[in-house]
Amino acid sequence: MSLAHESIASLRRRLASKEIHSRDIVRDLLQQIDAREKTIHAYTHLDREAALAAADKANSSLPLGGIPIAIKDNLNVLGDPCTCASKILEGYKAPYDATAIARLRQAGAVLLGRTNMDEFAMGSSTENSALGITRNPWDSSRIPGGSSGGSAAAVGGRIALAALGSDTGGSIRQPAALCGCVGLKPTYGRISRYGLVAFASSLDQIGPLTRTVEDSAILLSALAGHDPHDNTTDLRKPETFLTEKSGSVKGLRVGIPKEYFIPGMDAETEAAVRQSADWFKKNGATLVDVSLPHTPSAIAVYYILATAEASANLARFDGVRYGRRAADPRDVLDLYHRTRSEGFGPEVKRRIILGTFVLSAGYTDAYYRKAQKVRGMIRQDFEKAFASCDLLLTPTSPEPAFKLGERTQDPLKMYLADVFTISVNLAGNPAISLPCGFTKSNLPIGLQLIGPRFGEEKILQAAHAYEQGHDWHQRLPPA
Amino acid sequence: MSAPQINVSDVASLARLTLTPEETAKFSSQIGQILSHMDSLKQIETGNVPEVTPPAQPNLRKDEPTPSLSLQSVLSNAPAQANDLIVVPKIVE
Repeated sequence: MSLAHESIASLRRRLASKEIHSRDIVRDLLQQIDAREKTIHAYTHLDREAALAAADKANSSLPLGGIPIAIKDNLNVLGDPCTCASKILEGYKAPYDATAIARLRQAGAVLLGRTNMDEFAMGSSTENSALGITRNPWDSSRIPGGSSGGSAAAVGGRIALAALGSDTGGSIRQPAALCGCVGLKPTYGRISRYGLVAFASSLDQIGPLTRTVEDSAILLSALAGHDPHDNTTDLRKPETFLTEKSGSVKGLRVGIPKEYFIPGMDAETEAAVRQSADWFKKNGATLVDVSLPHTPSAIAVYYILATAEASANLARFDGVRYGRRAADPRDVLDLYHRTRSEGFGPEVKRRIILGTFVLSAGYTDAYYRKAQKVRGMIRQDFEKAFASCDLLLTPTSPEPAFKLGERTQDPLKMYLADVFTISVNLAGNPAISLPCGFTKSNLPIGLQLIGPRFGEEKILQAAHAYEQGHDWHQRLPPA
Repeated sequence: MSAPQINVSDVASLARLTLTPEETAKFSSQIGQILSHMDSLKQIETGNVPEVTPPAQPNLRKDEPTPSLSLQSVLSNAPAQANDLIVVPKIVE
């Protein structure tokens, strides 16, 4: 069997015993990429020779020694392009490593390639990429989800073992669900964002997309921890996750929030998620009915706050210091206007305008400040819910992957795809999405487990126990 | 609920964006719809609920100089440069 089909946990053991070499893994992955990448288009940049050369130098005694990892194209990797799938970063080459990248390197990982995304991580389908669309490996007429769609399609399509993504409103979990892989959005403050191109700084978080829950824990252990370059990172001591696997959910109190089972959601998705809840019950967990009453407001709150923050964060793309610059500017205002108007795609422009509006004189109280208050209420909802349960079980997405092009003309409908993931970012909690079934037409369905803040160990243990009781993660997409 | 009035071209200009007439028409209708959805927040009684504000920062590191990127690597991405400076159109007449 191709090494491209194995988990990081298994490959680590084989590398450590010198049974295989890192080059074998990279070579097998490159073979898979040759066979499938033309259809999927998960990668924006792939330097084969550099990956093989790094594999040759790999030190298999390190925690990720010789393990190839793909990287979302919004993380700075020294000397590589970092396009954010935008024309405005044409020609940019990262002058430094993001902290997450530096930590992967310290752990011995081999960096494999850069993955496609919605421009500046704004979108739920990866159709907003200036570098072309990515297709779902399970059905190439469908979207992979977004914004980390390239990372999810690469891992789900077996052309990467694992990838980094970023999650501002569901951008790791939703594509992971739609591509049949495991996606973890850690607690806000768990992983440094230094070197991640900022979208909405009070929400952004980096996390892994992997084949298995154990692999997710391995990557989280390598990435987590305080960084003086990102002052929002928590000061607690570094942890290693899932070192002992309980394999049991006995005694676990699993909250089922009624607001996450809504009219209009896909029937097969609802059935698969309810069956997963039954599995927890059969295996000794207690199901607890809980309510997160402000869930229906989350989309409005999110698209006010995220766009407001984005309008400020994206002001730096002005054609002065890096990236694209409009030709022959008349004066400095002309330089700004033309660089930005030529460089940004429609969704980014739409969000910058929206964010500028909700922060403009006369509207801040009605929109921005009101949204911050409702955000506080959403956080309180979670705190109250966790008083009576250990974790929450919900669908990750209300539906499986939709068709390419289906929503590109209706941004509001596209935004509604994030309904089950964005509250978690607003509250700052950790959540994981893992496969919990397939539709009749063989599309993956994702289960979301949400934990209390810094409760990653809890959700990883529960997710791992669930995974051990099922074989969804072993299914292969059609060749 | 009626969509709030927003002059998309003016707001775009605040953000240093110039829109084509097609973009202006399209964004006006789409942003109007999105703002109508956002107006649902007005129904929520927030009373004395405090706003979420950026966390107080107890972890501030000491303001001490540490090694940083070299001038050369910072300038390596500049679209136009001369004498170790970034060149931009004249600002002051």
